[in-house]
Amino acid sequence: MNTKIIKTLVKKELLDVFRDKKTVIMMLIVPIILYPLIFIGAMMFTTAISSSMKTQDYRIVVDAQDDGAFMRRIQEAGSHKEDAGEETEDAYTLTVVDADSVSDYEEALNQETIDIYVTGRPEGDKMLYDVYYLSSVTNSQYAMNIVMKLFDEFSRTLTEEKIREAGLDVHEVLEPVSYESMDTASNEQSLGSIMGSVLPFMLIISLLMGTMYPAIDTTAGERERGTLETILTLPVTNRQLIIAKFLTVASIGILSAFLNILSMGGIAFYIFQLMDTGDSVQALEFSRFLPAILVCVLAILAFSLLISAVTMCVTAFAKSYKEANNYITPLMLVVMFTGYVGFIPNVEMTQTVAMIPVANICLLIKNMMVFKIDYTVIAVVLLSNVAYAVLAILFLSRIYDSEAVLFGDSKSSLQLFERRENLKKGGVPTVSDVLFVVALTIVLVLYAGSILQVKFGLAGVFGTQMILLFVPLAIVLYTKKDIRQTYGFQKTGIRSYLGAFLTGIGFFCINMLIAAGLASLFPDSTENVNVAFASFEKSGFAALFLVIAIAPAICEEMLFRGMIFHSMKAHYRASTAIVVVAVLFGIYHMSLVKLIPTGLLGFVFCYVVYRTGSIFPGMLMHFINNAVSVLLTYYPERIGKVFPVLTKESLSVSELLCLLAIGLILIGIGQVILHRKAQPVK
Amino acid sequence: MTQNSITADNLVKTFTRNEKKNKKVDFNAVDGISLQVCEGEIVGILGPNGAGKTTLLRMLSKLMSPTSGMVSIRIGDKEISDEIEVKRHIGYLSNNTKLYGRLSTRELLQMLGTVYGIAQDGVRNKIEEISDTLSLAPFLDNRIEKLSTGQTQRASIARCLIHDPQVYIFDEPTLGLDILSSAAIIEFMKKERERGKTILYSTHYMEEAEYMCDRIILIHRGKIISEGTPDALKEQTGKKNLRDVFSELIIGEGMKDEH
Repeated sequence: MNTKIIKTLVKKELLDVFRDKKTVIMMLIVPIILYPLIFIGAMMFTTAISSSMKTQDYRIVVDAQDDGAFMRRIQEAGSHKEDAGEETEDAYTLTVVDADSVSDYEEALNQETIDIYVTGRPEGDKMLYDVYYLSSVTNSQYAMNIVMKLFDEFSRTLTEEKIREAGLDVHEVLEPVSYESMDTASNEQSLGSIMGSVLPFMLIISLLMGTMYPAIDTTAGERERGTLETILTLPVTNRQLIIAKFLTVASIGILSAFLNILSMGGIAFYIFQLMDTGDSVQALEFSRFLPAILVCVLAILAFSLLISAVTMCVTAFAKSYKEANNYITPLMLVVMFTGYVGFIPNVEMTQTVAMIPVANICLLIKNMMVFKIDYTVIAVVLLSNVAYAVLAILFLSRIYDSEAVLFGDSKSSLQLFERRENLKKGGVPTVSDVLFVVALTIVLVLYAGSILQVKFGLAGVFGTQMILLFVPLAIVLYTKKDIRQTYGFQKTGIRSYLGAFLTGIGFFCINMLIAAGLASLFPDSTENVNVAFASFEKSGFAALFLVIAIAPAICEEMLFRGMIFHSMKAHYRASTAIVVVAVLFGIYHMSLVKLIPTGLLGFVFCYVVYRTGSIFPGMLMHFINNAVSVLLTYYPERIGKVFPVLTKESLSVSELLCLLAIGLILIGIGQVILHRKAQPVK
Repeated sequence: MTQNSITADNLVKTFTRNEKKNKKVDFNAVDGISLQVCEGEIVGILGPNGAGKTTLLRMLSKLMSPTSGMVSIRIGDKEISDEIEVKRHIGYLSNNTKLYGRLSTRELLQMLGTVYGIAQDGVRNKIEEISDTLSLAPFLDNRIEKLSTGQTQRASIARCLIHDPQVYIFDEPTLGLDILSSAAIIEFMKKERERGKTILYSTHYMEEAEYMCDRIILIHRGKIISEGTPDALKEQTGKKNLRDVFSELIIGEGMKDEH
């Protein structure tokens, strides 16, 4: 039933969009007519320019005290060319302008009455020539290239003369060895590397262009045309509506992306055919591109989902085309800017980069085109794109309030865009605000945080924590929320801490089991984490302790168990709030392998915060958890002596069971203490 | 007795209005309205501009959620208050419910029928039936953007009919139509009343309301100020026609407010 409604709505939207001439023209004309036209135009233009350059007459002044030696060289070159009748290759002429007729060479050069001038003076027993030209004038630049070539030949002739005078064999002296560069890249590889840097960018732009118009049309357009109220009289939920619109936008995006690619691919193929006319070159084996093309197709699908979701998040709140356009411009800039990553050489695709939207798609296609195939990375890129798209759409269908958009008179639940004077004091942030904050901080951590960490190492990690602390705090302060309520800064008794402490330790044991299990499943990724950790070791124990143990215990707790949990709890059941916090906390760690253990950690921290009604026990637990890791890195031997379990490479079954038992017992005791504490409060 | 009906229980809708610079004032566009309309009844909602008619009708059709209060529909012995389920039994029409210009009436009706969960055959038959009642045949397959105002209004009514709802909620359905078109709509409403449908509609045309309505609810500033059959209202105020009744009651209300 549900899917049937969505299917019908999608059908309606598609029909509606495709009957709009503007959309069809945008979709078809650009790839089918505009690209080839641009390409043919560009080709004709460049051929015209280069041929005019070669038939050009360049005016040169030679003012050298070399008894006319270079001048003769120029004339020789000219006459030699006439003899050979080489007109097709270099059909230029160098006209020597009499040096006496020009008073100021530089001025003449600037006024382009001459293209180049050469001065020469003897220094010691050899001549020193200076060639003056204007790099800003194309003709002058070409003249310079010609003159430089002449000098090479001139110098070579003189050398040869000297060698002959000395009675030596010219060939033997000048070319004692012979060498040649050979390109071992297959045709497929060289085509791939060209395509690899251009294709992703073109793809991203065409997808963005392809989704932009339908995204605006189905959201702001629908409102502007007055059909939104009609559709809302139907027994359709906001979620169904958003999903239907999203699917429409995504399918149009995919279609236009494929049209663009087909057109560009056709042109690229044509260029390559033009370039390779020699017999020695083997025909391209397009079958070699099949896996790459397949992955690209998947990447396009995944990315079009993401880009449609994101554009819709932006346009869904606009009340008119104009407003939607205003909203979409910054998004376009960010996407295009990130899309340039394909042009930057030596950007390596790592697991982290594979999770950065836009950049991951560019690099994936780039890598695929030169046959660098890494299945883990492919999976991460595709899954992360789909995951972001799903999150964005869930986010949108959650905060999309048809009533607010339709009648525009209900109070906005996104308070951070309201004027501060209009906001009431107190309470916890709205869910929409919090979701916005989470999205914002995740984007900031992804981009700014990654850069900070690469540039400044440990200090960068600290910087990331500060982003986590201050960005949400700024919004809490702006919307005049109650700090104590929002963050759960409540005094609590010693029992809470004791309970939290025991639960924390107990859970640490359980988590070790899970980590051990995961490590055996994904041996590489855990190693990566260890390497990253070890690189910070140089910074010293105190710094590491501050950044890894103390800062997250404060900053991450305040965001996740503070702001997110308390605002969720104000609107939903506590259990829902805890699960949401746990999932977000898992996702925030940006690692598939760590998703489950960190998610569980988030769950337990959150549960304790909920039980005790205070964030401080959560902070304590987080601190203990991270501090143990730091201590383990720093003092493995000492820790090993006290708790041998922690440092062992692999654990026996009995040890694992022991750990499980200890963990469960500690959690049990912790819970009993926490529950005892909780009852009197009620 | 179980009659099909729509019931509103103490509906309140609060909006925030920018009064002066940076000063927001909450006001109730609809301020505690309760009403019930039963099957076979046409009830007219009358009131000056800004009285809260449109807001009330939007809440009744579940397009807008009330700040407080409840809307429910009774079909047989079932009491329905879920937003989506209520929408299934309502045909809502206002000047803001525009149609998709790039679709034909037939395509639109087909789409709506499927969304309402009617089987393909059922939709086809229903479209034929509606086409006959409203004489849509000459333009059924033309794009809606190409239709005249009267034709568009007929297509709009067809939209409300496709799922054969129990309750019709029309917000000024005859506004800006010529005599023929509005007569068609009035005829349609009367026919539906005979079929035992529940009809609620708002209008500014007093004669029309007097001619059509079994009951009239007069609202002003979000509150019901008077309610009854046209005759009862005339009797109550001692006026001869509804226009005078209206003026009397609204102005009287205004005077009360000033004292």
